[in-house]
Amino acid sequence: MEYQILLQQIFNGISLGGVYALEAVGFGIIFNILKFSNFSHSGVVAITAYLGFFISKYVYTNFLVTLTITTLAGGFIGVMIEKLIFRPIRLKGAPLTLFLVNSITAAMLVQQFFAATLGDDYYPYPVFMKQTSINLGTLTISKTYTLMLIISGLILLLLTLVLKRTKIGIALRAASTDVRTPSLMGVNIDFVISVAFFIAGVLGGITGYLLGMTYSVDPFIGSMILKGIIAAIIGGMGSLGGGVIAGLLLGVAESLLIAEIGSSLTQIAIYSGIFVLLLIRPEGIGGKRYLIKA
Amino acid sequence: MEFYIKVLEITCLHTILVLGAYLMTGLTGLFSLGQGGFVSIGAYTAAIAFLHFNVPFPIAILMAVLMGSVVGFLIGIPTLRLHRDYFLLVTFGFGEMVRAALLHLAQLTGGALGIAGIPKQVDLPMIHVSILFITILIYNLKRSRFGRNCIAIRDDELAASLMGINVYSHKMKVFILGSAITSYGGALYAFLIMFIEPNLFNWLESAKLIIITFVGGVNSIIGAIIASVVYYSFGEFFRFVDVWRDVLLALAVLFVTIFRPGGIFGSWELSLKNLLPWRVKKI
Repeated sequence: MEYQILLQQIFNGISLGGVYALEAVGFGIIFNILKFSNFSHSGVVAITAYLGFFISKYVYTNFLVTLTITTLAGGFIGVMIEKLIFRPIRLKGAPLTLFLVNSITAAMLVQQFFAATLGDDYYPYPVFMKQTSINLGTLTISKTYTLMLIISGLILLLLTLVLKRTKIGIALRAASTDVRTPSLMGVNIDFVISVAFFIAGVLGGITGYLLGMTYSVDPFIGSMILKGIIAAIIGGMGSLGGGVIAGLLLGVAESLLIAEIGSSLTQIAIYSGIFVLLLIRPEGIGGKRYLIKA
Repeated sequence: MEFYIKVLEITCLHTILVLGAYLMTGLTGLFSLGQGGFVSIGAYTAAIAFLHFNVPFPIAILMAVLMGSVVGFLIGIPTLRLHRDYFLLVTFGFGEMVRAALLHLAQLTGGALGIAGIPKQVDLPMIHVSILFITILIYNLKRSRFGRNCIAIRDDELAASLMGINVYSHKMKVFILGSAITSYGGALYAFLIMFIEPNLFNWLESAKLIIITFVGGVNSIIGAIIASVVYYSFGEFFRFVDVWRDVLLALAVLFVTIFRPGGIFGSWELSLKNLLPWRVKKI
């Protein structure tokens, strides 16, 4: 491979990896607190991707307005999912397996709903920019990818600030260590969980919009979230930083592998890589060894 | 009449797969989203052995079951030590890997075109006998010491291991048996619908098997069977709502889990004791 193409692939990989990192963090933030894999995140991504398409197509909003609307809508949908699906069973003290079943069901509900109503058509986003690429010397950089990278970076930075500096961030981090103890300290745990779902939903909304803009929207866009889940595993569940690093690595590895050996072998290579990694290091790159507590 | 037989065949075949999922998820608490992978392995092994190597039908089925168990064993070695969510995601990865591999090995598997022209060798009585056999097997397993150990693992893994139950070995046995049943279902599937392709069973279908188990009742084999029969025959009878079928299923599942967390049938089992009230022992 020539080094220019190599550089280009690495850049595309990092941009894509930024989106995977967003997914991984949105996924991990719920896992940290409630300790289950939140597949319904893919539902949020799918709904916001469609929403972004419809408002930018029919209301003619520009790039930033659309992004803001989808982001807020994503947060709202996240909170609604929590209130409708997870809160009833949480208050009944249902086992964790039931959370998992409900989240998979919610993902299926959204995907099949869109498949039933909007069919298997593809909906391409309108073009927001006249010029689609920037020439940097001999490199040609896609504007969409650059935007993706900038947005993911800013959002992750913002999230870090929220988690480290604000009161609700501290409550979120406390709840990830143990859900019950903070409520004894006077923290309103229902509210904290709602906020966690709101943040995850916001991240999902941005992801949905970016994915819809890069590819086109179809009912199965939600399954793109799986790359984020893979990043979350590689990074170690419960470690948001690990998820970000793993997301970037996965993006770069994927775009290099696709350029080198084709997309169907890439799938096999990535999944076998995960097998090997989990054999050697079951807790992922940055995760702490998961202790089962009584 | 032909139509009803067809519906019944498809429905019963899926019931075999649900029973495999029941054994793993309902009895032992192993969430495997890779069931589709095992279905494909069974279907492709049997079809390739039968068509390319002229192996007789019963031996082809046997080879499929064997292949499924061996793959289950190999996948189980690293994954069964993992925590539940990791296991779920890794088995999911396994299912996708099988799909990608089938697409890639086009010389043997026909790639995206799949394998057509498999003769129909499976009929209704054969499926029914299989279901009966598997149900009796699982029912007896559930009532045995081994099965009770598995239920203990499902409810609380830590407590079970403190009671001296070897969690890993129990999970491994269940996983191999479940993979064998699932590949058996896959092999029958190939000889029933006479055409197989890599996208036959995606992760959504695997997830549905688990979901149906939960709707029927995690503790009830008969619940899982009834739920599966209702769901799959519903979809075949009402073709006009076909696209909405999964939406309805998903809504039904959410209602059931929210209002009746134990599933519709809870832990009710079909037995003489439950059907004939005078057989209940007085305490």
